[in-house]
Amino acid sequence: MNRVGMTLKWFLFVWMAGVIWAAFLWIPSAQGFKGESSRIVFFHVPTAWVATLAFLVSCIASGLYLWRREPKYDFAAAVSAGLGLLYAVLATVTGAVFAKIMWGAYWNWDPRQTSITILLLIYAAYLALRSAVDDPEKRATLAAVYSILAFVTVPFLMFIVPRIYFSLHPDVMTNADPDNSLDSAHLRVLLASLAGFTGLSVWLYSIGTRIEEIRHRRRQEVL
Amino acid sequence: MSDPKKQRRLWYSVGGVMIVAFLAYGATSFKSNLTPYVSFEEAQKSARKVQVAGGLVPDSTTYIEDKELLQFGIVEEDGDTMTVLYEGVKPGNFEEATQIVAIGTYSDGAFHANQLLVKCPSKYQGLEEAPRSYGSET
Repeated sequence: MNRVGMTLKWFLFVWMAGVIWAAFLWIPSAQGFKGESSRIVFFHVPTAWVATLAFLVSCIASGLYLWRREPKYDFAAAVSAGLGLLYAVLATVTGAVFAKIMWGAYWNWDPRQTSITILLLIYAAYLALRSAVDDPEKRATLAAVYSILAFVTVPFLMFIVPRIYFSLHPDVMTNADPDNSLDSAHLRVLLASLAGFTGLSVWLYSIGTRIEEIRHRRRQEVL
Repeated sequence: MSDPKKQRRLWYSVGGVMIVAFLAYGATSFKSNLTPYVSFEEAQKSARKVQVAGGLVPDSTTYIEDKELLQFGIVEEDGDTMTVLYEGVKPGNFEEATQIVAIGTYSDGAFHANQLLVKCPSKYQGLEEAPRSYGSET
């Protein structure tokens, strides 16, 4: 088990190093982008993707907790919501830098920016809720219900809102948007980066849940 | 004592109803608040600083270089057009802009912009030139 884990970690390390090399050095800068800014896409899109995935995992784990009432599902939900929030912040920051370079302002409350802000607030509130309740079972139940409700807004805020309104942001749902036309080299690096970021977050997730398990055991020992 | 299974089913349906209500509430209440962009008609009525968005009217751009004064026509989705005046350096590749956001106020027959956001066409496709130069403007 340990050897497999170690091999996977090294593989991930080499993979991510390869992605970074490809994103910055291998791929040429793209048409119509100012300077080298097109390279941000290899980090901006994967962080947004991982954030969405993490919020989905949190929702599923919350559902499992309400069904099975086992603490491990609560840990899973909490850790993935935290990870999702982290990646959503990274997507927002990389997006703001991209916006400054390509459109001329870091922030102008474009529907895409407004919706991600609401999403950040919703999941920040989830963590605040967790820290406000002391009783572990009560906290887990409340947080699980909240996490499921919170996820209801995710498809709405991530995919639907920016499609309804005029937005400077390229459409994330279809490839019809001419801004989304990737040549095969860009597509390969983007897919490799998506896979790498997903792997990285699985690792972070496993570290996070193991820490929670240890904390849980410690509390049991004290009692 | 009530049947715990029945009670649970009740809670599930309450939860389900709440989720649907939440969705409906979100969809309706945010409808007008989620976008900062107002229609040209609203911009002309409003005295406040607003954001308008649209496309560039072809061949409508004039730029007085020594005064740094840019004038262009902006067209909305429904076909409304408006003249925008902007004091400042003309953004690069302005004539190619596919989407423009102007932030400012409307007065005296034109929209006076303090800030422009300009989106030019871009593709994630390599540049045609073979030699690559790092860190240079392309």
